[in-house]
Amino acid sequence: MSDAVVDVRELRKTFRVTEREEGLAATLRSFVRRHRKDVNAVAGITFRIDPGEVVGFLGPNGAGKTTTLKMLSGLLHPTEGEASVLGYVPWKRENAYLQRMTLLMGNRSQLVWDIPAADSFRVLQEIYRIPDGQFRASVSELTELLELQELVHKPVRNLSLGERMKVEFAAGLVHSPSVAFLDEPTIGLDVSMQVRIRRFVAEYNRRTGATILLTSHYMDDVVALCKRVVVIHRGRLLYDGPLADLAERMAPYKIITATLHDGAASSADLDTYGTVVSRDEGRVILRVDRNVAPERTARLVNDLGDRLADISVEDPPIEEVIDRVFTSEQTTVSA
Amino acid sequence: MIRTYRALLVASLQSAAQYRVQSVLWMLLEIIRPVIFLAAWVAVANSQGGQVGAYDVRDFAGYYISLTLVLQLVFSWNAYDFEYEVRMGRLSPKLLRPLHPIHYAVVENLVWKATTFIPLAICLAVVVVTFDARFRTTPAHLALFVPSVLLGAALSFFSGWVLATTAFWTTRVHAVSTLWDRGVFIFAGLIAPLALLPGPLQTLSLVLPFGYMLGVPAEILRGGVNVPTALLLIGGQAFWVVVFYFALQRVWRAGVRQYSAVGA
Amino acid sequence: MRRYLRLLRLFFTTEVQYELEYRTNLVMDLVQTVVIIVTSVGAILVLFSYTDVLNGWSLGAMLVLLGCFYLIQGFGELILAPSFEKFMEHVRLGTLDFALLKPVSAQFLVTLRQFRVTNLAQMGLGGIVIAVGLGRLPSVGISEGLGFVVALACGFGLIYALLLALSTLAFWFVRVDNLMALYWAFLDAGRFPVDIYPGWLRVTLSSAVPIGVAVTVPAQVITGRLDFFGLAALVVGTLVAFQVASWFWHVGLRSYAGASA
Repeated sequence: MSDAVVDVRELRKTFRVTEREEGLAATLRSFVRRHRKDVNAVAGITFRIDPGEVVGFLGPNGAGKTTTLKMLSGLLHPTEGEASVLGYVPWKRENAYLQRMTLLMGNRSQLVWDIPAADSFRVLQEIYRIPDGQFRASVSELTELLELQELVHKPVRNLSLGERMKVEFAAGLVHSPSVAFLDEPTIGLDVSMQVRIRRFVAEYNRRTGATILLTSHYMDDVVALCKRVVVIHRGRLLYDGPLADLAERMAPYKIITATLHDGAASSADLDTYGTVVSRDEGRVILRVDRNVAPERTARLVNDLGDRLADISVEDPPIEEVIDRVFTSEQTTVSA
Repeated sequence: MIRTYRALLVASLQSAAQYRVQSVLWMLLEIIRPVIFLAAWVAVANSQGGQVGAYDVRDFAGYYISLTLVLQLVFSWNAYDFEYEVRMGRLSPKLLRPLHPIHYAVVENLVWKATTFIPLAICLAVVVVTFDARFRTTPAHLALFVPSVLLGAALSFFSGWVLATTAFWTTRVHAVSTLWDRGVFIFAGLIAPLALLPGPLQTLSLVLPFGYMLGVPAEILRGGVNVPTALLLIGGQAFWVVVFYFALQRVWRAGVRQYSAVGA
Repeated sequence: MRRYLRLLRLFFTTEVQYELEYRTNLVMDLVQTVVIIVTSVGAILVLFSYTDVLNGWSLGAMLVLLGCFYLIQGFGELILAPSFEKFMEHVRLGTLDFALLKPVSAQFLVTLRQFRVTNLAQMGLGGIVIAVGLGRLPSVGISEGLGFVVALACGFGLIYALLLALSTLAFWFVRVDNLMALYWAFLDAGRFPVDIYPGWLRVTLSSAVPIGVAVTVPAQVITGRLDFFGLAALVVGTLVAFQVASWFWHVGLRSYAGASA
């Protein structure tokens, strides 16, 4: 048995919610009898993560990703099941565990708004008992990686959203944790900042070997950072494995985009090569079964000859793949 | 205008229903101060053989109960909310509607007073019984109380709003209102019935507007002043109401101009 | 323990730096505090223009009591009230999680986090009023002085316990501003000795909302009106209150973290 950093077994979290319908009659009724319902936020998931991995948790809203992350970081007690992170039971919140982990939440700030980030770092140094030398080294490395030189001495409330996120990252990592839980870290940021954050996370993982679990809505986050992805839907684990294989298993087709000269696309009869997804002016997009894609491509090139201006063969966009995963209700497929 | 008020009233009543608990808590808050000072004056009276000036323990009880009732009927807090609204930029939509923002405040105020009246009356009834409070009220006093308390409420309302409009110019309305509140504390009849304030303070209390908000209606209700004096005091109330009404007009207009100039 | 003291000092100094930037605010706050305390002293003087003794308390003793009132209220507003306000905001915004995941006592991080330094003025002026009051009384002995310090510490402890219990309700009700308003109202009653109040109020101010006790007892000690057993009872009562309030807070915390299934 390898010593995994994160080891989760049949983790389950059920919330009890009171339901009430609209209207006066229902309100009155609810005074007398409360209608309770059990919601299975997380319905028994199992997985392991090795040191240094960067794993992405994908799933629609309410899938259970944040609940899972909260259990692993120690904020929630599970209803059933076991988990261990770095050998600790997270929800015991032992100081030794908290010393070595960090949780970063995309739209929530842990920094004090009115004071410069540098002052908050000092407080964190004291809280985490970071020796001076290590503290200075950590701060300077994070400042360099995140380009914070101008930002750390300004009050946090004067920073833009993107700048604030960078500083939050630094605050979350100043104590050099071995495990980092990132909950929607790029939410609300503009595209260039998202790219910069992704680059930072990848570089941080490379330099420190910290294990990173991140949840995100944005496929680009996952594609850029995670070799391995865990797909959660309705509290169940649907897929756990390499991102690359996800497309292969979940969406066993390829997208062929053929660009034709002189707008002949509209008249071309390409139904025999595959399912026509769309056609406009110069371009036709076909969906073709993965196994036969090479053969069909070759035939297209051959048959169209010099009417063909350009052709490309690609995996379906990852959003489409994920979409299919969620709508197909498939059972667990693990790598 | 009547129809507008009726609509505002209904809306205000609905939201008041949501804040029932809050209203009652606020009311309890109000009662505590007069009770504190009543207890203090009772202690003073007891140390002096039961009488201080024209007041014995039962008179003090009567006075402070009247004062609490007047506080309830006269109190307006909307000024505090106003500063918040200006700061948060919530005033702008209201300025764009064809209804002066102050009307919302009037209605809210009236609704709150109506809804908290009964709980208050119950609490006060308990105090009346505990202290065997004495009231020297005559029907004439009661008749005079009505205009007096209305004038007191108007004065409190207008002066409160004059204070609030300073929010158009400064973010430190809190400092200004603290000074005003302390004025009320000393001169409005809270720490002592106006008649018991030492010489110079008593003179000041008759010159400044504070006493005309609370102390005067309270004494009229209790029957602590004779009818001619009461009429004189009501005249004083009317004077201050007029002063603050015009002050409010002026200040509001200037304030809105300032607000729009700066960029709402 | 030393770490917690260092952290407290950090919290304090950062806040001082921040507030010093707003000099006008500081001056205005100081002026306000002076006005408030002077008018409160004035109110007492008005009462004492008609008597020399109020329920056994001379003018000097009453001034001492008023000074204690502002010391205790000032302490509450210096660190307790701002921290608890921040705590309620954290619960509302969901940012409490960060405090829970630090390797330091969550209760410390939440309840002693935020200073409002201008309230030192209230405490300072309260001290001056005490000194003025003491000046009108026969001199104070060492044992009274020590007892005063102990009683004052208990007063701070009782206020802490009270606010802790009140704000624990934020775990379930989220918006407890109204209850805080009730706290301020009851606190106001502390300006007079708790024994002048009618039965039900006196009992409340000595038990459920121990403000009366917190303020009156230190004043009693330093004016030589309390015996050793009374002081000991106060200390025991404070420790009990503190434990109960802390326990209650942890119950709230566990329920917030979904521990109770």
